[in-house]
Amino acid sequence: MSNKASLRPQPVASEHTPLKARNVAFDWADTPLHWIPGDPASTHTINVLHLLLPAGERWFVHVYKQALPYVRDARLRADVIGFIGQEAMHSQAHDEVLPHLKDQGLDPTPYTAQVDWLFEKLLGDRTLPPGRARRWWLLERIALIAAIEHYTAFLGDWVLNAGALDARGADPTMLDLLRWHGAEEVEHRSVAFDLFVHLDGGYRRRVRTWATAFGALVFLWQRGIRFFMENDPTLADGRATFREFLRGGRDGVLPTAGAMARSIPQYLSRSYHPSQHGDTAQAVAYLAGSPAATAAEAGTTGGA
Amino acid sequence: MPRIGTVVAVGAAALVVRRALRRRVQASPLWPLPALDEPISGRGRAGGRADARRLTVVERTTEAEGVLRLRLEGTDLPAWEPGAHVDLVLPSGAVRQYSLCGDPAARGSYTLAVRLVEDGRGGSREVHERLHEGTEVEVRGPRNRFPLADSHAHVFIAGGIGITPILPMVRQAEREGVPWRLLYGGRSRASMPFLAEIEKLAGAGADRVTVVAEDEDGRPDLAALLAGAPPHAAVHCCGPQPLMDAVAALLPDGLTLHTERFAPAAPAPAGEERPFEVELRRTGRTVTVPAGTSVLRALREQALPDLPYSCEQGFCGTCQQRVLAGEVDHRDELLTDAERDDSLLICVSRARGGARLVLDL
Repeated sequence: MSNKASLRPQPVASEHTPLKARNVAFDWADTPLHWIPGDPASTHTINVLHLLLPAGERWFVHVYKQALPYVRDARLRADVIGFIGQEAMHSQAHDEVLPHLKDQGLDPTPYTAQVDWLFEKLLGDRTLPPGRARRWWLLERIALIAAIEHYTAFLGDWVLNAGALDARGADPTMLDLLRWHGAEEVEHRSVAFDLFVHLDGGYRRRVRTWATAFGALVFLWQRGIRFFMENDPTLADGRATFREFLRGGRDGVLPTAGAMARSIPQYLSRSYHPSQHGDTAQAVAYLAGSPAATAAEAGTTGGA
Repeated sequence: MPRIGTVVAVGAAALVVRRALRRRVQASPLWPLPALDEPISGRGRAGGRADARRLTVVERTTEAEGVLRLRLEGTDLPAWEPGAHVDLVLPSGAVRQYSLCGDPAARGSYTLAVRLVEDGRGGSREVHERLHEGTEVEVRGPRNRFPLADSHAHVFIAGGIGITPILPMVRQAEREGVPWRLLYGGRSRASMPFLAEIEKLAGAGADRVTVVAEDEDGRPDLAALLAGAPPHAAVHCCGPQPLMDAVAALLPDGLTLHTERFAPAAPAPAGEERPFEVELRRTGRTVTVPAGTSVLRALREQALPDLPYSCEQGFCGTCQQRVLAGEVDHRDELLTDAERDDSLLICVSRARGGARLVLDL
């Protein structure tokens, strides 16, 4: 009996928290191009987020709007609605960084236009007959989002604990963007997986879509770092190397390769549930003190 | 053991492939993915519209008590006509609309006047505290939702900072020799911007301008002004909602009224909300939205329970819907002017003046 129970996802109930979008705004005027001082490689490794998230999270919202009518559980429905708003704000907030990069001579458009194609066309709505085919494509995309959210939660948890970024004097506005975003990812880390389990939950689909998402993330990320390093106007001979990535991990300004490798079997475990990893209380505590989140709070409750 | 020739051939082929791949990736970072023809990302909340430009604050003066006049300079500024406004993208990312109150003929700069609203949403405070001489600020527009109507005679009514779109109108009427009258109301003379210029414009025919400061003269006599207006005159009014409502109520037959709310994005107090009807074209139903209830809530409760939404405060954009007909009172903080032309956020925006809206739902 206990054997059977362990094959099901095991949520940790105490990690659940109500979700709401926060109307944040960031002023990028004073953020330098290399916002981790003296470490362009690690800066650009994290900057790839700004290339992927505007289109990616917009796509999450697009897919979830279509999924909403199928949700038959009131609490999950409330979670999905909160999730949609948070993702929409993440997309907007990262999108605001792109013009700032362009102003500093690093035009991201060649890359982001291709990411836009990926999410708008390749992963967008297809002309499928209503019924099974259309539902299959929706479920496939929901499963992809659950797999991607495993990694956004991983990164969120990492950035909340990455004290080395503070020690190295990383730009406070960028850190607040990453930690506000990371904290909300930790807050809502179970929603995508819960929705997937609610609508389908098949283990084969989970593995298949994980493999696709993981492969795509590795591809997009290494091309993104390479794109930034080669086009950075301040680097004479900018090159992306795996060695620099490992060095960033050792210095604590990037996640370590080991931690990333360990996160793979977590997601593939049959008893996996996102609430088993990460710390909601830490995320909520960060949001209570985040400059952007507290300003948003003041603006929405005190504003007339 | 492979022969030496095979090794060399394979090695050479690998080198050629590597060089070819490198060249392609340099030209197209995510090769072999194509690019979207019209990229969406990277335009910022500004929407990346062609009309966004960065201007520099070159002059900052106190125009009246609590009112700041800013002159923003830039190159190739588009021409504008009286009644036009621009979107100011503040350092925090907030977007606020301000009427242009300078001279349209001065092509190198735009002039705005901003009153500090203590209990507002923080936009005017940000202007007052963070825009100094030398500050760069993003400006979008100009656009004109309040153009000066063609008429043989004009009646202008301005309340407080509502003088900003009216002032260039008065100047234009004066220049073109069209007869005009202006009623300008405010709390006190010290708090009313552009008083000196207006009194100068009035010139000898001083009865063309009536200045009513509430602390000295009480409330303006709108009825007398409108009753004495030339037949078929065009009335342009900008000021607080109660002033515009009063003008609309007193308007004699034959006169046409043109108004602009000076805080288009600010949510109106609940008392001002009126019920209205929303027609759902594709669903084929009509829903009544009561005062104090959002369109979103009314639609979800009465017709479409699965409508997507999230923040319910007009910033996340999830509930954006297309408008097919009807005039919208936009109360969100997100949509660009272009988006406002054919869509709305149903969580906060309503029908203007209690009229009817037709949505593509």
